Amino acid sequence: MVSVKPAGRAGDIRLAYALLSPALLLLAVVIAYPVGWEVWTSLTDLSPLKDGSTGFVGLANYRRLLADATFWQAALVTVVYAAVTSAGKLALGLGFALLLARPFRGRALVFLAIFLPWAYPAGVSVIGWYWTLNPPTITAYAPFMGQLKYAVDGTFGIGAWAFASVMLFNIWRGSSFIAVLLLAGINAIPQELFECALLESRSAWRRFRLVTVPLLKPFLALGVFLSLTSAFADLSNVWMLTAGRIVFPVIGTHAYWLVIKAGQYGPASALSLTLVPFLLAVLLVLFRLFDPPQERSTA
Amino acid sequence: MNPKPWWAKVGHRSLMLLATIYCVFPIYFMLVQSLKTPKEDVFGNPFIVMDPTLENFQELFDREGEVRGFVGTALRRSYPFADWLVNTIVVFAGSVAATLVASVAAAYALGRLRPPGFRWWRRGIFAAYVIPQTLLFIPLYQVVHTLGLDDNLLALLLIYPTMALPFCVWILSAYFQLLPREIEEAALIEGASRATAFFRIILPMSRPVLVAAGIFTLGTIASDFMIASVFLLTPNNQTITAGLGTFDVALDELAAVAGVNLLAIPVVTISALLARGFVRGLTAAMIEGA
Amino acid sequence: MAQVMMKDLNKKYDEVHAVKDVNLHIRDKEFIVLVGPSGCGKSTTLRMVAGLEEITAGEITIGDRVVNDLPPKDRDIAMVFQNYALYPHMTVYDNMAFGLKMRKFPKTEIAKRVGEAAEILGIQELLKRKPRQLSGGQRQRVAVGRAIVRHPQVFLFDEPLSNLDAKLRVQMRVELKRLHDRLETTAIYVTHDQVEAMTLGDRVVVMKDGWIQQVGEPLELYGRPANRFVAGFIGSPSMNFVEMTIAETNGALWADTPGIRVKVPPASAARLGPYKGQRLTLGIRPEDLRVATGSDPADYSFDTVVDVVEPLGSEILLDVKAGSNVMVARVDPTVRAKLHDKMRLSLHPERVHFFDLKTELAI
Repeated sequence: MVSVKPAGRAGDIRLAYALLSPALLLLAVVIAYPVGWEVWTSLTDLSPLKDGSTGFVGLANYRRLLADATFWQAALVTVVYAAVTSAGKLALGLGFALLLARPFRGRALVFLAIFLPWAYPAGVSVIGWYWTLNPPTITAYAPFMGQLKYAVDGTFGIGAWAFASVMLFNIWRGSSFIAVLLLAGINAIPQELFECALLESRSAWRRFRLVTVPLLKPFLALGVFLSLTSAFADLSNVWMLTAGRIVFPVIGTHAYWLVIKAGQYGPASALSLTLVPFLLAVLLVLFRLFDPPQERSTA
Repeated sequence: MNPKPWWAKVGHRSLMLLATIYCVFPIYFMLVQSLKTPKEDVFGNPFIVMDPTLENFQELFDREGEVRGFVGTALRRSYPFADWLVNTIVVFAGSVAATLVASVAAAYALGRLRPPGFRWWRRGIFAAYVIPQTLLFIPLYQVVHTLGLDDNLLALLLIYPTMALPFCVWILSAYFQLLPREIEEAALIEGASRATAFFRIILPMSRPVLVAAGIFTLGTIASDFMIASVFLLTPNNQTITAGLGTFDVALDELAAVAGVNLLAIPVVTISALLARGFVRGLTAAMIEGA
Repeated sequence: MAQVMMKDLNKKYDEVHAVKDVNLHIRDKEFIVLVGPSGCGKSTTLRMVAGLEEITAGEITIGDRVVNDLPPKDRDIAMVFQNYALYPHMTVYDNMAFGLKMRKFPKTEIAKRVGEAAEILGIQELLKRKPRQLSGGQRQRVAVGRAIVRHPQVFLFDEPLSNLDAKLRVQMRVELKRLHDRLETTAIYVTHDQVEAMTLGDRVVVMKDGWIQQVGEPLELYGRPANRFVAGFIGSPSMNFVEMTIAETNGALWADTPGIRVKVPPASAARLGPYKGQRLTLGIRPEDLRVATGSDPADYSFDTVVDVVEPLGSEILLDVKAGSNVMVARVDPTVRAKLHDKMRLSLHPERVHFFDLKTELAI
């Protein structure tokens, strides 16, 4: 005599898929299809500048890419960019979060200040940054900025100023988000744990390593991942802050340039996709760290 | 604990001050610029404003193209800023709402109903972040074109939600998963249907996490520049971000900075008001559950 | 007010068979306790009654309705959970009123019932607070209040006292008992704590590995455990078990193991006949052992060495060794015992239990 309630497990699963469908549909249309298209295109010689039918060229685009010095330069710049900005964001973000860890007078205000760079819409603050760092010649501070730029470019080569400003902007905004994320983790650490650790070890560094870091691990992992992806995928910040006059192309800008200026869809797609496997690998490693814990068991 | 020595206190305070200046200065700088008269912009002290004016903001809404001092009418453009503002509000509010609805539904499915392999579903959705959206313009343009959404705000309403969705699904489903199942069960026994239990109990309980997801979404879409510029072409259809991108540096510096602030101030205000909730929500989602 | 019947109840998860052929008739107004170690299926059984778990096979009847296919809200039950499961965003009043609101009670009636329940539980002052502002004991009261306002047919309790500290647990236990006497509603109570089970239950159901081991009134379980598991589970400290050989000497049966040799009491002798020459388990509760005096018959006494002395005030627990057998005796606080003392113990002949070695059933 087996009976199944109408709202049983099978019904739950059907409902689950129904509820998942809007999100999956969005992702399918906006991400999955375009990625599929990019994968296919990266294997062809598609170009709006070319007459005739599109030919399948296999891995030729990738082979050409690997043989191209510009690609390697872009890849190197991208890696440096991601590494430097991520390190900067993490260091500053962690510093901010630790500053805010204990209650003190004015904490709420400092917290808001630290939250601002992320909350301030980057789509427009990047414009502000660009004009601040590369002001129109008529403004009062233009000569000063001009000199600074000249000095930096003079020391590190043309384009260094622009590249530095991109990194500076990225770190400025990213450290704010990381700080907030880590603060969320620190808030969850019970005060007794700090006190307990205080009894066990008088070294602040040991306490930090033994108590704070392990509990922050999921937040740190999430922060690192979001920081890396935003840096690797960065196109707009680099483009905007350099007004398209790119001396140090990153992979994003290089692909954009190939599409917009050169109409080379195939190589551009191949180029964009080179980032994906690397990021996936990073993500798979990090999932272990920030996956939600298993449900507490009930008796 | 021992009382801290004076130098530790001074050190702490100075660090606070440094951190605050570092974070706020660029924003302060933009705000000051936007309040300047053209004269002060050229001759004044860059860090302060002596003679604040709302002229630059006014000018944004001024469609007439009034002649300005040293720039002739010929070079003068006027901007449909009022339209941009409305478009921006529609796009931002719509995207945040759409993101939250889709994420909450998906998160409930993954965190509470748990279909087979729900961990991998969640990871799969989160993995969308490895795809740099800004690199997908051409196929995205095809999609938008096929749907007949060229130069239409709906294109942004389609694309924006996917930018924040993976993160929102992640934190919301983590929160739902950590929620003791007994709370929902208690409601079911008390006489609620599953839907009632969801809307009357689970959703209100999740407020901090919803706030966190909402703020994250707002912060993410407000940061977009490329998508708005690529998919919205006619001036009247643009958002503030896309519109400001068309400004000319040399001619419109002050008006543009004013525009930046006009977009930023409401976004920042909303975020600041909910900032504590944002942190609390992140904590709840990642660790506590309840 | 209703009786609850479980007929051939089974629950299978993918790999686990959690509840096996449970048959139970819970009478109207009865307070029944399901007790057993974790994973014994007691909670699952309760959750099937609540409608929170699907029934794999079998039938549950509440009142005169088969409820297998009814959703929880239509079963006219109320449940109190171990973690209270209060709605954190609602005040105490709203928490208690929620079920009534769902059932579209008029406002005045809701206020009246919540007021009554709050008075019974002594939480009138807390009605405007949120759950997080309450102590554990107060939260538990609110959870109970939420259950009683609806006047359901059956109360279900899932380890409701397990999250409270020891002192509060005892206090709430008494209150729950008083509440049941007052409300006279059928109640099913799940716990892993045998003291709770014994003190609260009109009848107690002992479960293990998904099977019902024994159903009975508390003293019946204590005095006549059906098997070795129940014997060991009920009573604290638990019953001493010693594996012994049955042998016949001079026409009488004796139980024998190195260090202990006692006569089989006449009452058990007939039943133990078939075990002559075989091994079985002898069980004796710590409270049925006492320090032997001259007047005790030598047939039921044996020598031990004191291993641990645990004075509890009202009594002393002695861990003793007889040969290689370890036993606990609960003795009078006046007994002076030191480590390694020799001590002669005597067992109460009418309270000796025998269990089959293989089936573990009482003989």
